[in-house]
Amino acid sequence: MNAVLKIENLRVEYRSKEVGQRTKLAVNGLTLSVSRGEVFGFLGPNGAGKTTTMNVLLGFVNATSGTARIFGVDVRETIARQRLGYLPELTYYYKFLTAEELLRFYAKLFRIPKAEREARIDSVLKLVELEAARKRPIKTYSKGMQQRVGLAQALINNPDLLILDEPTSGLDPIGRMKVREIIQRLKGEGRTVFFSSHELGEVETVCDRVAILHQGELKVEGSVDDLIHQHQCNLEQLFLKVIGYRAV
Amino acid sequence: MNNVFAVAGIVIKEMYRRKDFYVLLILTVLITGVMGSVTFFNDDKIVRYLKELCLLLIWISSLVIAITTIARQMPSERENRTIFPLLAKPISRGELLIGKFLGCWLACGIALVCFYSFFAAITVSREHHFYFLNYFQAATLHWFMLGILIGMALLGSLVFAAPSSNATICFVVATAILLVGRHLNQVALSMRGGQQAFIYGLYYAIPHLEIFDVRDLIIHNWSIIAWPYYGAAVLYALIYGAFFVAGACLLFRRKALN
Amino acid sequence: MRSTKAPLLLLVLLFILCFSLAAWLDPRSLARRQQRSTDVLGVLMGDSRKMFANHFFVKADAYFHSGFYPTIFDNRESFQTPHMAGDAGAMKDENQGEETAFMGKPRDFIERFNRHFIPATHTHLDQGGAEGSKAGADLGESPAGGVREILPWLQLSAELDPNRIETYMVTSYWLRKRMGKVNEAEEFLRAGLRANPGDSALLFELGRLYHENRQNDERARNLWELGAHHLQQGKPPLADSDKFMLSNLSLSLARLEESHGNLAEAINWLEVFKPVSPYPSQVQTQIDDLRDRLGEPAPQAEHEAPAH
Repeated sequence: MNAVLKIENLRVEYRSKEVGQRTKLAVNGLTLSVSRGEVFGFLGPNGAGKTTTMNVLLGFVNATSGTARIFGVDVRETIARQRLGYLPELTYYYKFLTAEELLRFYAKLFRIPKAEREARIDSVLKLVELEAARKRPIKTYSKGMQQRVGLAQALINNPDLLILDEPTSGLDPIGRMKVREIIQRLKGEGRTVFFSSHELGEVETVCDRVAILHQGELKVEGSVDDLIHQHQCNLEQLFLKVIGYRAV
Repeated sequence: MNNVFAVAGIVIKEMYRRKDFYVLLILTVLITGVMGSVTFFNDDKIVRYLKELCLLLIWISSLVIAITTIARQMPSERENRTIFPLLAKPISRGELLIGKFLGCWLACGIALVCFYSFFAAITVSREHHFYFLNYFQAATLHWFMLGILIGMALLGSLVFAAPSSNATICFVVATAILLVGRHLNQVALSMRGGQQAFIYGLYYAIPHLEIFDVRDLIIHNWSIIAWPYYGAAVLYALIYGAFFVAGACLLFRRKALN
Repeated sequence: MRSTKAPLLLLVLLFILCFSLAAWLDPRSLARRQQRSTDVLGVLMGDSRKMFANHFFVKADAYFHSGFYPTIFDNRESFQTPHMAGDAGAMKDENQGEETAFMGKPRDFIERFNRHFIPATHTHLDQGGAEGSKAGADLGESPAGGVREILPWLQLSAELDPNRIETYMVTSYWLRKRMGKVNEAEEFLRAGLRANPGDSALLFELGRLYHENRQNDERARNLWELGAHHLQQGKPPLADSDKFMLSNLSLSLARLEESHGNLAEAINWLEVFKPVSPYPSQVQTQIDDLRDRLGEPAPQAEHEAPAH
């Protein structure tokens, strides 16, 4: 199997802010693998450890133990992020820049040659439908437009792996549909997408495989079709079952 | 260096799209202009008081611009969460910090060119003579001094959570060094035992920013500083600046971002 | 339904009350304002302005030295009296020691290095100022022209503390002696006299201006006599500064009278000068000489030892 993303026995501990507790376990013994061309849904309730795992993959947080590799390169290496695109949840971009300037800045970090750089900027701005607003400062953008700028910056380097942290949060139904279309388009182009979401219907529609994380541990992993077939329920019911939710 | 220059470019853009620099430049021009319009004893050749006032305003403005700009860089990256998409790109944390330092330092350099051009214009209009080498030495030494301060504030921005507390501490430290840094050895002589050792230690450890304050030399038209000493001062600033930036890189290297 | 008139009436009543109170208070506060100084600086800074005035006076002296000046950490023995004031004869020179060596030898390598970045040569503006300065030559000026640079600080000092006599004295001296600005010097001195009516030092300086610059000895004599008269009427014993000024006034008057051939008057003023002079025996010799020229027999004057 051609693994684009591979996590083995990942354990992340934080220094706890609670009294009488020195450390807090955020992720415990997580082992996961995502293959080329897959759309992988990373699910779990709030505080399950999804964002922490993503932070490890992006080098924001160091793992206490275990390994994480992207394209076979340790995630702590800067080069591991060369073929990666990342859309964080609810992020604000440099407000004093225009969308065009922001994308140019990120493109420079990927060392995209100047001639190609402008073509890439044009193409991603067209994809996220921000061509008309490209010369406006980001501070004048609506929330949906800012999210689309986020998506544009995640795509600027034509990434082989896209990590999206709740990409549809805060978007209106049309915005969500557009994001879903873009993910499916990327899937069609053979790119790998690793994303977390609370929109289980959406995950069921676009994902090939999912993993459900609860209290830092991997509870379920498999293809969407297999899991539905195996548990005789839809993804939402499975999710509630896994996290032990009992209706009052 | 590509990444460093890219980050530096953003810092420079930020500085010139904010109003701080323009406000300070206009204030300097206005205050100097008003003071220049005052005639003392019907003598319009008096210039040194104006040079002193203009240089004082330039120094205050440059300290405000340098410290406030660099002090807010890393905290605002974290507060606005712009650091996450940034560090998700192939850029190391060290490159990010060096880029921030370089951007702020270059931006301050551009600001100083504007300020010192105004100063030169004022001086030439009164003295009818342009001491290029003197002004060049004063402006560049000022700029290198800001390099030390920017490095210090960058390190502080990783230690102190709030930019305001970091900026205040940097202002106090810079002012104290500029005022008494030169005399700490004399202060130490008047003490005994542990206190004396502490003050001496402080005297040798602090960056002597006052070396770079050569305002008196250009106000009173003293001859230029001998180039070997000028070079040594520049080297001193580079070493101290590099020391602070290296400290910041070490501190930020393994820092968890969440 | 509640009446809407009550709040309206209350408002009108409050307005009338406020207006009446303001009309009653205004003339009283005006009277008080007129009693006080209308000086904005005085209102804003209070007595602290004297401190600033002193600071700017010292700053003028620092300018006189082109920035080569001791700080509070240095040995200030040779800078007890500002040199610009000593040279102007406005203050008694109490400086001791070598004025070029207030910094001493460098104590360490940092200090040694530091000294390349600060003014490190003793100069006076009236002698050309900073070493290496080309300003004077370029402007085709005499070296003394540089002295103008101390004037803004002196004016500021006088505005902050109009009762500081030395400021007027020093300013006037440099204006009239080194810059040829006699009118400006007189105007400044008269401003000083308005703030300090009858001050002997200012009268002395104004007299010097008339004597030396306007060659109007009559007015100079009147001014000096008035100054000496004020001092002689003061309660004894005289303060050191008053003795210094009385000596200046009496000696100047003696010289003036001597130059006009009024030897008897000159002897009288030398008699006034003798008790306040540091060298009374020498003054007595001069008196005796004048008496000889006048043809008067010298009285059996006791020859005093010089005062120390």
